[in-house]
Amino acid sequence: MEIVVLIKPIPEAESRLRATPDGRGPEPEGIKFVLAGYDESAVEQALLLKESLPGSSVHAVSFGPARCEETLRAAIALGADRATWVEGPPEGSDDPVLAARALAATLQTVPHDLVLGGKQAGDDEEGIVPGAIAELLGIPSFGYVTDLRSSGPSGLTFLRPTEAGVEQWEAPLPCVVGLQQAWNDPRSAKLPNILKSRKAPILKVDWPTTSTALALEAKPRSIGEKFELPAPRTGAKMIEFKTPEEAAEKLVRLLREEAKVFP
Amino acid sequence: MTPTVLVLAETSGGLLTGPTKEAIGVARTLAGSDGSVAAVTMGGPSALEALASFGLKEVWMADVPPEAATSGAVAALAAHAADESRAALVLLGGTTFGRDVTGRLAVRWGAAAATGVTEVAITGPEEVHVRRPVYGGRATESRRLVGPRTVIALRPHAFAEAAASAGTPTVHALDRSVIPVTEGAARRRSLAPAEPGSGPSLSDATIVVSGGRGMRAAENFHLIEELAQSLGAAVGASRAVTDAGWRPTSFQVGQTGRAVSPQLYIAVGISGAIQHVVGMVSSRTIVAINTDPSAPIFKVADYGLVGDALTILPALTREVRKVRGLPAN
Amino acid sequence: MPDFSLTPEQESLRDAARKFARAEMAPKAAECDKTARFPEEIYRKAWELGLMNLNVPTEYGGSGLGALEQCLIVEELAYACGGMTTSIIANCLALEPILLGGTAEQKSRWLTPFCAEYHLASFCLTEPGGGSDAAGLQTRARKDGDGYVLSGEKCFITNGPHASLFTVFATLDPSLRSKGIAAFIVPGDAPGIVRGKDEDKMGHRASSTSTIRFEGVRIPSTQRLGSEQDGFSIAMRTLDQTRTPIGALATGIAQAALDHSARYSLERKSFGKAIAEHQAIQIKLANMAQAVHAARLLTWHAAWSIDHGHPSTLESSIAKCFASDAALRVADEAIQIFGGYGYMRDYPVEKLMRDAKLTQIYEGSNEIQRIVTARELLRQYG
Ligand SMILES: Cc1cc2nc3c(=O)[nH]c(=O)nc-3n(C[C@H](O)[C@H](O)[C@H](O)COP(=O)(O)OP(=O)(O)OC[C@H]3O[C@@H](n4cnc5c(N)ncnc54)[C@H](O)[C@@H]3O)c2cc1C
Ligand SMILES: Cc1cc2nc3c(=O)[nH]c(=O)nc-3n(C[C@H](O)[C@H](O)[C@H](O)COP(=O)(O)OP(=O)(O)OC[C@H]3O[C@@H](n4cnc5c(N)ncnc54)[C@H](O)[C@@H]3O)c2cc1C
Repeated sequence: MEIVVLIKPIPEAESRLRATPDGRGPEPEGIKFVLAGYDESAVEQALLLKESLPGSSVHAVSFGPARCEETLRAAIALGADRATWVEGPPEGSDDPVLAARALAATLQTVPHDLVLGGKQAGDDEEGIVPGAIAELLGIPSFGYVTDLRSSGPSGLTFLRPTEAGVEQWEAPLPCVVGLQQAWNDPRSAKLPNILKSRKAPILKVDWPTTSTALALEAKPRSIGEKFELPAPRTGAKMIEFKTPEEAAEKLVRLLREEAKVFP
Repeated sequence: MTPTVLVLAETSGGLLTGPTKEAIGVARTLAGSDGSVAAVTMGGPSALEALASFGLKEVWMADVPPEAATSGAVAALAAHAADESRAALVLLGGTTFGRDVTGRLAVRWGAAAATGVTEVAITGPEEVHVRRPVYGGRATESRRLVGPRTVIALRPHAFAEAAASAGTPTVHALDRSVIPVTEGAARRRSLAPAEPGSGPSLSDATIVVSGGRGMRAAENFHLIEELAQSLGAAVGASRAVTDAGWRPTSFQVGQTGRAVSPQLYIAVGISGAIQHVVGMVSSRTIVAINTDPSAPIFKVADYGLVGDALTILPALTREVRKVRGLPAN
Repeated sequence: MPDFSLTPEQESLRDAARKFARAEMAPKAAECDKTARFPEEIYRKAWELGLMNLNVPTEYGGSGLGALEQCLIVEELAYACGGMTTSIIANCLALEPILLGGTAEQKSRWLTPFCAEYHLASFCLTEPGGGSDAAGLQTRARKDGDGYVLSGEKCFITNGPHASLFTVFATLDPSLRSKGIAAFIVPGDAPGIVRGKDEDKMGHRASSTSTIRFEGVRIPSTQRLGSEQDGFSIAMRTLDQTRTPIGALATGIAQAALDHSARYSLERKSFGKAIAEHQAIQIKLANMAQAVHAARLLTWHAAWSIDHGHPSTLESSIAKCFASDAALRVADEAIQIFGGYGYMRDYPVEKLMRDAKLTQIYEGSNEIQRIVTARELLRQYG
């Protein structure tokens, strides 16, 4: 099985986020970008499938600025066989549909039975890219997948936890799968493999090349306007009430409508 | 400009799901008095009745069994309905299904897209502004979506549900031949209904309810657990609780316990000692319930309730169950 | 100008060690310290990732890293737990004599199968009668046909209870002192090896330490490293290599103490403000930061000298001695900044102080390091 795994460098968990001076997006300067979260699970899943199906290969593909290279090397150190960096637009648009177009254009030129991604990127959390790629390639896609297994050379089975319960699916190849995080325990790279990964070749697809494939729609349609960090806490908003019922009703309303954290 | 806003409606047991009702509510606001709200459903005739009770003028309907409702099939039908209804905006509920369809629909229909949206406004003829939390809730971004078509998946529970309002929609049947043949081979084999009661672990939970010495006795701690269960939350505790043996040390949050940073942390009967606070202060929203108005926990909390936990908790659990549509117990 | 930037290789090795240290070691550090548990599952995983036999060339199955890379890794590991780090890097110490004194045949015979699986090795130099005075060791090697018979006792042997391979220093003639010492490879299952009880230590409690008694252990001469007179030199050259990573281990402990202190000082309030706003605390933090930086740079410099094949006895002695003194001082100040909490076992800083203490004692006590430093120094004048 030719497995393509899509990865995106995201800030290390403990990074201190800041906005760029123009306030439109997150400041990449001074941030360490890593292979993490959903994507790490996706690489692990790709490797597990490869190990269960002799003759399979794993190809890591990343779209974006130069920092993609480090993340791809991390995937190689973990066991990916090949890596491709699809260079992002110089102006740094972060429209996920545009990213999907660039990736799909690249995927058309490489073998792929299964395209794996995280269910969403750990930074923008859009979750748009896997489905958009599938639509562009004209193949089925499934998000929020867990327990992905191969069922022979041309099919997959997997589970999908939804609001209604856990669904069990069978799907044909080729297809795109977005994985839920942390159902597997991603492995760590061995030091000798880390050293080898430094010397591994990384195929670079230049931006102008991808953009020609993108001629139809090279313009971003989703544009970051403002990036805000929560204001430091200034003390609680005290909720006045006469009865416990009133307290409960007011709190639930605030959590739903103001804080927007009600499940 | 009279925008048509199309809602991708989901039903469960013949009723509209909560997220769909939220999407209808948002659609009504966006359409305003001169726009209109339409719906597209895969639920067949059974969904029709549910949609009729929400005053929708037009409904595009296909009957796709859940076993075959892949995101590709749904996106194809929804894009078709969006064209037919001349919609400018398609709204989806923040469910697994809704978010899964968004990317495909955006490409199929040639639209700009965003997911996890908590605020949305039409700001120009071909311009929509959205706000959405990013980086696990550590930041918020505003985005401008441009072009004649936009697809938006809402964040669940970020908006109020629409109220029912009677009406008789015009029904249009959707032609299933728009579904790509490649979608035919995928099949849902089974659905195991969600099990109640198996809560998340303390470190993974998006909501944590913690109790402190203010719970007064081990016998009262079940009130914390019941609230947690109603919210799908994990249970935590202060060291006063674990030291007293009311709960094992694995429940302890704080400097010598576990550090957590959920979306919502509810501290009940916890004074807010620094050793506790360092373990939970990075939570997105913090609620404190305490009898003492000068308790330091109120300095780090977002919402405070001064009162007796033993009476507030049962009322809060009842309210949460009611709002979430869970059976009272 | 010297270049202090790390190569991408070095950075990714350091990141991998950091990830392992924080994900695997740190969560268990307090528990293992409290109960003196030897966390075999962590050591096994460290071996799987190649964090164990850092100095062994890749052709024998090790990670084949230079001194600077070793230091970067050891500092990260020690940041999470000094004791676990001592046990993880004990293989480097125990195998170095084979790397320095072994023939190609001895290396492939002993290192290759050892590195291919999870195994621990121990370096056996110190004896109950003396550690600093290594030339005066009393464990005897008697010639016996085509081999030797070892008898005597070694003490404070890291990983002693678990090792499957020992490198042992023994004398053929105590009156010859350093000239009479030979080095031997001894498999852990050789008849006549008696392992003592696991010592109850002040710090590094996740590591285990015991006596090893040799009761007539027969060794073929093919297991002797170098000539019958080479043992002392092999031991000293080994310590020249491994002292520098001990400086890195101490730096890791010191960095952890500094990080804990700076964070706590911003949270803890007294007299209406964060204690970080009191100048007395700021001065402490500044002194601690100076010590950590100096320790790291001295360690990197010594490692750089080793990697460039320069004589480095002076540099490595200075680095080990300075970094370990700094670690104890910084950990001590960390406790002071934490006040009463710092003195409590529930808080992480008192462990740092106990762990830091050992770095002044083992792999050549700091008194010995100063003697070496002065000797090397005065040689340049006299
Ligand atoms: C070395 C050390 C390490 C520590 N590590 C931790 C740690 O990791 N985690 C931790 O939590 N603590 C830790 N502590 C303990 C910490 O200092 C506090 O003692 C502890 O957090 C207090 O727990 P509490 O808030 O539940 O109890 P209290 O401080 O006793 O507070 C109880 C609160 O409940 C309120 N209350 C009383 N009755 C009611 C009622 N009916 N309804 C509502 N509110 C009510 C009271 O007003 C009060 O504010 C540590 C302490 C030390 C010395
Ligand atoms: C946890 C732990 C793990 C260890 N692991 C190992 C191991 O794996 N393998 C191994 O071989 N050894 C190991 N050691 C032993 C360690 O290297 C020795 O303890 C150390 O070399 C000091 O020797 P000693 O304890 O015999 O002290 P002594 O040599 O008796 O010294 C006592 C004191 O006198 C000082 N002193 C000695 N001679 C002089 C002098 N000439 N001038 C001034 N001061 C002097 C010393 O610095 C020290 O302060 C370990 C020790 C510990 C505690």
